Amino acid sequence: MEAKEPKEKKQEGGGKGGKKKGANEEEDMSEEDIALKEAMLLMVTRVADPELAIRKAALDSMVKEIREATASMTSVPKPLKFLRPHYATLQAAYEKAAESDKTKPMLADVLSLLAMTMSEEKRASLKYRLLGMQEDVGSWGHEYVRHLAGEFAEEYNERLAAVDSAEMSDATAPSSDDLLPTILKSLVPFFITHNAEAEAIDLLMEIGRIDELVQYVDKTNCDRISTYLAQVASYVPEPEDSQVLSVAVAGLRKLGKYPEALLMAVRLNKDQLIEEILTACDDPLVQKQMAYMLARCGRRPEAEDELARIMDGSWVTEHYLELARDLDVVEPKAPEDVYKMHLEKRATAAANIDSARQNLASTFVNALMNVGFGTDKLMLTEGNKWLYKNKEHGMMSAAASLGAILLWDVDGGLTQIDKFLYSNDNNIKAGALLAVGLLSCGTRNECDPALALLSEYIEAKHPANIKMGAIFGLGLAYAGQKKDEILEMLMPVVADNDTPLEIVAVASLSLGLVFLGSCNEDVSQALMSALMERSQESLEKETLTRLICCGLGLLYLAQQQSVEVALELAKVLEGPVGKYTTLTLETCAYAGSGNVLKVQRLLGLAGEHAPPADEDDAPSAGGGAPAASGGPAGSPSDAKDSAKDCKLDSQTVAVLGVALVAMGEPLGSEMATRILFHLVQYGDPVVRRAVPLALAMLSISNPGQGSIVDTLSKLSHDLDIETATNAIVAMGLVAAGTNNSRVATNLRALATYYAKEPGVLFAVRLSQGLVHAGKGLVTLSAYHPDRSVPHPLAMGGMVVMMHLCLDFKSIVLGKHHFLLYVLACCIRPRMLVTLDEELKPLPVTVRVGTAVDVVGLAGRPKKITGFQTHTTPVLLASGERAELATDEYIPLTSILEGVVVLRKNPDSIEALNKPDAKASPTKEKKPTPG
Amino acid sequence: MGGLQSRNEGQGDSEQEKKEKKAKKYEQPAPTRVGRKKKKKPGPAMSSKLPNVVPATKCKLRLLKLERVKDYLLMEEEFVASQEQQRPQEETTQQERSKVDDIRGSPMGVASLEEMIDDNHAIISSSIGPEYYVTIMSFVDKDQLEPGSSLLTHNKANSVVGLLADEADPMVSVMKVDKAPTETYADIGGLETQIQEIKEAVELPLTHPELYEDIGIKPPKGVILYGEPGTGKTLLAKAVANQTSATFLRVTGSELIQKYLGDGPKLVRELFRVADEQAPTIVFIDEIDAVGTKRYDSTSGGEREIQRTMLELLNQLDGFDARTDVKVILATNKIETLDPALIRPGRIDRKIEFPAPDQKTRRHIFQIHTSKMNLAEDVDLEEFVMSKDELSGADIKAMCTESGLLALRERRMKVSQAEFRKARDYVMYKKKESAPEGLYL
Repeated sequence: MEAKEPKEKKQEGGGKGGKKKGANEEEDMSEEDIALKEAMLLMVTRVADPELAIRKAALDSMVKEIREATASMTSVPKPLKFLRPHYATLQAAYEKAAESDKTKPMLADVLSLLAMTMSEEKRASLKYRLLGMQEDVGSWGHEYVRHLAGEFAEEYNERLAAVDSAEMSDATAPSSDDLLPTILKSLVPFFITHNAEAEAIDLLMEIGRIDELVQYVDKTNCDRISTYLAQVASYVPEPEDSQVLSVAVAGLRKLGKYPEALLMAVRLNKDQLIEEILTACDDPLVQKQMAYMLARCGRRPEAEDELARIMDGSWVTEHYLELARDLDVVEPKAPEDVYKMHLEKRATAAANIDSARQNLASTFVNALMNVGFGTDKLMLTEGNKWLYKNKEHGMMSAAASLGAILLWDVDGGLTQIDKFLYSNDNNIKAGALLAVGLLSCGTRNECDPALALLSEYIEAKHPANIKMGAIFGLGLAYAGQKKDEILEMLMPVVADNDTPLEIVAVASLSLGLVFLGSCNEDVSQALMSALMERSQESLEKETLTRLICCGLGLLYLAQQQSVEVALELAKVLEGPVGKYTTLTLETCAYAGSGNVLKVQRLLGLAGEHAPPADEDDAPSAGGGAPAASGGPAGSPSDAKDSAKDCKLDSQTVAVLGVALVAMGEPLGSEMATRILFHLVQYGDPVVRRAVPLALAMLSISNPGQGSIVDTLSKLSHDLDIETATNAIVAMGLVAAGTNNSRVATNLRALATYYAKEPGVLFAVRLSQGLVHAGKGLVTLSAYHPDRSVPHPLAMGGMVVMMHLCLDFKSIVLGKHHFLLYVLACCIRPRMLVTLDEELKPLPVTVRVGTAVDVVGLAGRPKKITGFQTHTTPVLLASGERAELATDEYIPLTSILEGVVVLRKNPDSIEALNKPDAKASPTKEKKPTPG
Repeated sequence: MGGLQSRNEGQGDSEQEKKEKKAKKYEQPAPTRVGRKKKKKPGPAMSSKLPNVVPATKCKLRLLKLERVKDYLLMEEEFVASQEQQRPQEETTQQERSKVDDIRGSPMGVASLEEMIDDNHAIISSSIGPEYYVTIMSFVDKDQLEPGSSLLTHNKANSVVGLLADEADPMVSVMKVDKAPTETYADIGGLETQIQEIKEAVELPLTHPELYEDIGIKPPKGVILYGEPGTGKTLLAKAVANQTSATFLRVTGSELIQKYLGDGPKLVRELFRVADEQAPTIVFIDEIDAVGTKRYDSTSGGEREIQRTMLELLNQLDGFDARTDVKVILATNKIETLDPALIRPGRIDRKIEFPAPDQKTRRHIFQIHTSKMNLAEDVDLEEFVMSKDELSGADIKAMCTESGLLALRERRMKVSQAEFRKARDYVMYKKKESAPEGLYL
């Protein structure tokens, strides 16, 4: 009986040994094996021997055999293999042995190991382990420890559950706490010291004690642990992820790695924690470094003078221009430089069919291209008449483009805009007001010039366009700053039911931008009631209504569950407006969360098909949906389309939402891309229109993924003009700020192709401007280069941009193109600047290369690949990472991007090797500015 | 297929748009890139590849990531299924298919593409000889056209109506081992270290890649088995093929030498392309010395061609394209004649020697071969096991067979010791035939 059973087991356990192996295995074995087998048999019989010494000797030699055996990686070591048939015998011997027997625990250890290879008994390994000698867990090898860890976790959770149910039924159950010490004292340290941090973390997460990890973090494993935690955080469900991140923060803080801890805290989105970290650090230089990082993330906790000044971000212009000088692109560019008309094969006659619109396009291109440089060839040159080449509302955008050109440079820029503020033309004045706001987007200034200048224009007496300019200007200037003054100023505008809708829309948008992600209830109530109190019909007709919804969504951007209250409120809203609002709220709130359930829901919505046209009339009349009767009078061109659907199509938001929710982590965005491809195939025309935008959302400023650009370029020839337009804009966004030549060539071809369609041509020009934005020095991505930390303002700006593009025809090609300047929220230089301890620029050599995912890899793998060595300042593209190429300096943060402060390395080898050139050799190389 | 799809995309809108559109000036087709094959086809067609999930270590992060991918795939499945239900594409596809078939006409001819002229025209050469300047039908996927590909043509107008997907070279498909050999590791006497080495180098990287990542090394790309004739190199390869579920491609070095110039290298390329497509794959090249001999200045065209074949092999083994899931096993009994570039680490990382069997192994081999034979009482195999003759594994097998034959000749049902002796003498005589024993002693 006993002999038979194990034999069968051997076949299943021993793997694919072969079918005909079983019977004549005995004969196949070599002599040594047979000897070993016999020895094992002998030992097994001796274990049950009454004599203590014999038992001990037998066990000792058994243990020795087992520990010394080595074998191929995946097969069971021989001694164990031969012991397996005797498992039951050993078990019986163990049961029989007296409690006082000294060899009993030893036997338990052997049984514990043996149990690992047997499968039938549940957690036997753990049972015997606990009965055993409790000696060093590692002595039995890594595989055993892993196995044990798994059983520990299972048992622990089972006991926890048992305790829970026991409490209800008043019964007693084995407490889970007596397992803890073993786990914490032996298993976790073993993993941590044996290069298996991942397993230690997994075990702790399994038993829900991740916070215990902090005590094990030390210098050697800190990096590995924190990167692992950072990645795990994006894949675990909602409450757990913040727990994981907090552990990472605590671990990093314990080692004094404040800048890294800070970034995790930013991801956690806890202002208090950020402030705590900032003040906890006692090194002023590191504090400054953190201030630079915070400025880049658009956060600003309270701090004293110098730090506050850094966080204000007024240094951006200086370093940006320095980068431009270094790369030799200071010289302003004219729109013609990117159009490269001479390369377009076209009949010259068709060139100026709609010169006003073309000039407007050139205005935008000019603004985008020279963004932040403070010089250009159209607007700022002496005695220039470009402004007057635009017509009416075009002049507003033209004047506002000044703000974009002078972006970030609050002190220098205001004087140049000043003269336009006193213009007689309302449009120019409105534009100038917008420019004032635009100028300070993303930076702060103690004097609050924007507030001072703009506040007076909000009062009712001013014409609509001036008001819009001023309101939107305020929104941009204080985007993400949660300033109470703005609240006071704009609330009456929104609350007043007599204000024209376009002004309310712009005001809502501004409020949304200013109170980005704040969940501010006052604002959300005000916007909601604006949506409720106005007549549904007028809301539905007017495409700008979407801006109110959008502003509402921005309030809850990436706040996940906090949105639930607002969602409940939004249920009151009826009809398409209600649908649009709820979806916008939901998609914004879960932006970047990677929440699969949300994606599923949104996908379901996007997949719905409108009932065929002929059946449409009956149900919609019966159901009382006002949409059917609403539209026809107002909409000029596609009358048929809007007769059915009103301007606000919630399906498009759902499509955008898929991208928005999934973009948080690379895996999700790649999978979402696949799903979007399916939507192209199956979706309704309305849905297809949003797909290019959603695709762009997934890889803003990242044209590296060829398939997206390919798909977009196919869609850009779509028969549906709106799909084509969106695809073109999407292409621009995907390559924004990269000077990507492939996209540029595509766009040039499109310019030829659409030469006779002014609307599409405008989109092409706009895209060309986007591709060359900032002459290729900026990024619009909602994430930092490492794709680790989100940039809420950029994300918000991009959401607005997408919503604008959902109705490119009536918003951008209509009168409200100035809203495009919302892009200023997203624009950030993609530079790496290094500073010395006095915060002066310090050129050093750095290696820039493609980032490699090193999480969970053994050893100390290279973090970048295919690198090139440059001297700072340098550009970082998306998916790239930099590291210092010299050991003369130590960076104060391990993530090199934006502005990095360097400290001299006291034990630098390079500096020692060349003592005569010690007077910082790199400094001499630097060309004098100017 | 691809041509069909791209047409489907635009179709839904075109109908509704037609009503509003004032007649478009001219129809611009989607931009095409003609004449070179793209590795990845964009759009829905290429979405078959899933993102690569790192790290390969078994850990929770990997689990979470894989689950995420699974979630998305389930969603995709659900979506596609529900869409198909709502708007079955099957019917419309079928209608379109029949329409396309009508346009294609029948019978069709076969031709090969000579040159693309523009997006819609090409020069083809038909199978009977003459070349034509013809139009390409709009439903043909132009992305896949490349000079040399075979086309379907309309029987009258000769216009291109389809593309024959170029299957793998039939030569290569023959190489695939469909039926696993019956030999297993149990049939190999001794050679334990060799088995372990080949397992570590070939099998485990395909089944347990995480083990290598755990320790932080790249698994070996391939192994070369070398040693005296009859020591079990091919046998071991067979056992590997038996053991693994990976695609097993078996080639002999001499197969790679082809009649026409350039065919040999092409075959090597095809071989590795197929291997890559069907990864994980094990490529076994027996008798590699047929193509892999050292390079030397040669005037003979044939020699040079063989060398070029080897150069292609070198490139495929460690070239620019990284192949992770293709493992190569080479076998030869003259490793010293091989080109050093072929067996350098990086191309072939492990060199496994197959020595002539020692006594223990010999005993084992005897056991294997005699286990199913009827032996007389007097047989004492130890005599042969202990003898000083250079008996290889194959020799032993031959001996056993020979003795069995001798016994048959005697019409006996049992093999006796005397027959074994005779058989030994016979086998040894045959083996030493070329150089009589004792000549050089």
